[in-house]
Amino acid sequence: MMADKRESGRVKEVQATRVLDEAARRRRQRKALEALEQDNFSEDPHADLKMSKKAPKFEEVMDTSSGPGPKRKKKTKGDFKLRYRKNFAALLEEEHMMNREGPSYTSSCAPRSKLPERRFCAVCGFPSNYTCVQCGTRYCCVRCLGTHKDTRCLKWTA
Amino acid sequence: MTTLIVDNGAGTAKAGFSTDPEPRIIPNCVTKAKNVRTRIFIGDQIDECKDLSSLYYLLPFQRGFLVNWEIEKQVWDRLFSKDVLQVDFNETRLILTEPFFNFPSIGEAINEVIFEEFQFHALHRTQAPTLTCYKHQKDKETSGSMFGTLVIDSGYSFSHIVPFYKNKPVKEAIVRVNVGGKVLTNHLKEVISYRQLMVMDETYVINQMKEDVCYVSTQFNKDMEIARKKYPENTISRDYILPDYTHIKRGYVRTQEESSKKSKGDEQMIRMNNERFAVPELLFQPADVGIPEMGISESIIHSLSLVDEELSPHLLNNTVLTGGNALLPGFQDRLQSDVRSMASDDFDVSVSMPGNPITFPWQAGCDLAADPSFPSLCVTRQEYEEHGHTICSNKFNV
Ligand SMILES: [Zn+2]
Ligand SMILES: [Zn+2]
Repeated sequence: MMADKRESGRVKEVQATRVLDEAARRRRQRKALEALEQDNFSEDPHADLKMSKKAPKFEEVMDTSSGPGPKRKKKTKGDFKLRYRKNFAALLEEEHMMNREGPSYTSSCAPRSKLPERRFCAVCGFPSNYTCVQCGTRYCCVRCLGTHKDTRCLKWTA
Repeated sequence: MTTLIVDNGAGTAKAGFSTDPEPRIIPNCVTKAKNVRTRIFIGDQIDECKDLSSLYYLLPFQRGFLVNWEIEKQVWDRLFSKDVLQVDFNETRLILTEPFFNFPSIGEAINEVIFEEFQFHALHRTQAPTLTCYKHQKDKETSGSMFGTLVIDSGYSFSHIVPFYKNKPVKEAIVRVNVGGKVLTNHLKEVISYRQLMVMDETYVINQMKEDVCYVSTQFNKDMEIARKKYPENTISRDYILPDYTHIKRGYVRTQEESSKKSKGDEQMIRMNNERFAVPELLFQPADVGIPEMGISESIIHSLSLVDEELSPHLLNNTVLTGGNALLPGFQDRLQSDVRSMASDDFDVSVSMPGNPITFPWQAGCDLAADPSFPSLCVTRQEYEEHGHTICSNKFNV
């Protein structure tokens, strides 16, 4: 019993002095930003469910290159099959590769704000004056810091 | 010959014939419901779903761009079918919107799907803000300046600031803020899940709550102070009752007085306090969550610095706000006061909003369809079959 207590006390001490390094903080921030773009939080509950009985998938429609029909059409459909597969990152990469002059998706993005940064408590959302020394999260008072340490802080590592 | 207008947003598609009084607004996605194993819901079919908790979304758009054609094809198949719009493709011209700076390969995929898969008679590709500018100028033809229009379009994936010289977008000065309704809803889900109740899978419910109780503050610091107070000085805090889809079919907000009382029974409740205005605030200061970009007001001033000096006073005096986020109470007032305080005192600032900021671009499409010049803006299927993508990229200003 005593040993157990000492053990957990020591773990706590080690935890208290642990500090997230810059890279880990950036990873955490990146993950938070990615979460803002997510379509769903959980996995597809019916991943096994067939999408649609009536509408054939594109692949099935496109897989007719050996069948009859005008030659040009066949070719464009083959291209199309490849094109519709591109995700956003691939499209962006393609744009960068083309390296064209003039305004583009990339150039039209709003630049960095010149307004002073505002800080909010991660726990209660009110303006905050303090930063957690271990992970860099903002908090506003001892109570919110306690909640933060108990729930997040080093509890989940990105 | 009929004209069909599809304002194909990443959140909802606004679709209907130019002779229809209103468009249908359908979710541009395929949905699965956790508690319904027997079927999926394509586009508007979600209306048939009784339990809207824990929906799973398959979206054709990623960051505002059409990348998943398998999903979009299903939504369009349903939309154009006899069950919904009953389109006679051979006899129909299509006006279809897409984002600014759409990637060329997506544009070509659109041409192919519209002409080769569906076989529409003709196609006109444009952007929602371009349609907005067209109608806005036409409507005020007798009064306002025809010289410049600034369109602010704040939608699901992002918000755009688009200056127009006459009817042409000034592309070098278009600014995109990567915050839209989706980011707001996801952020709201995150803070509520951390502070009160796990709602990460309740996108539909929380989006509805956002629409019901969130607003854009015109006095941010003051509202923060009010939100710190207790009833009755706290005029911001509201309780929101979540739907359970058995007794409560839809979430609803309690009045301030009711909100001060204890929750009764076993209903699930969320207390919305500073979240009501701190969440929409991301449109104006994305850096609040670490998105290193200017917000909408600051971006407007930035955009104006990129246009011809003589054009900017016309844009300031003729700014029009559209998109679903425009319905957040206070948005228009906030823009007006922000831009007023940031712009030169020498110029008048006027931010207007159409009666329905969601369907306005679609309505504009109806007007365009009746314009004598409209057929010349289209590429016909015959022309496409002869000249391919070239004629499309020459004709459409995308
Ligand atoms: Zn706090
Ligand atoms: Zn911490």
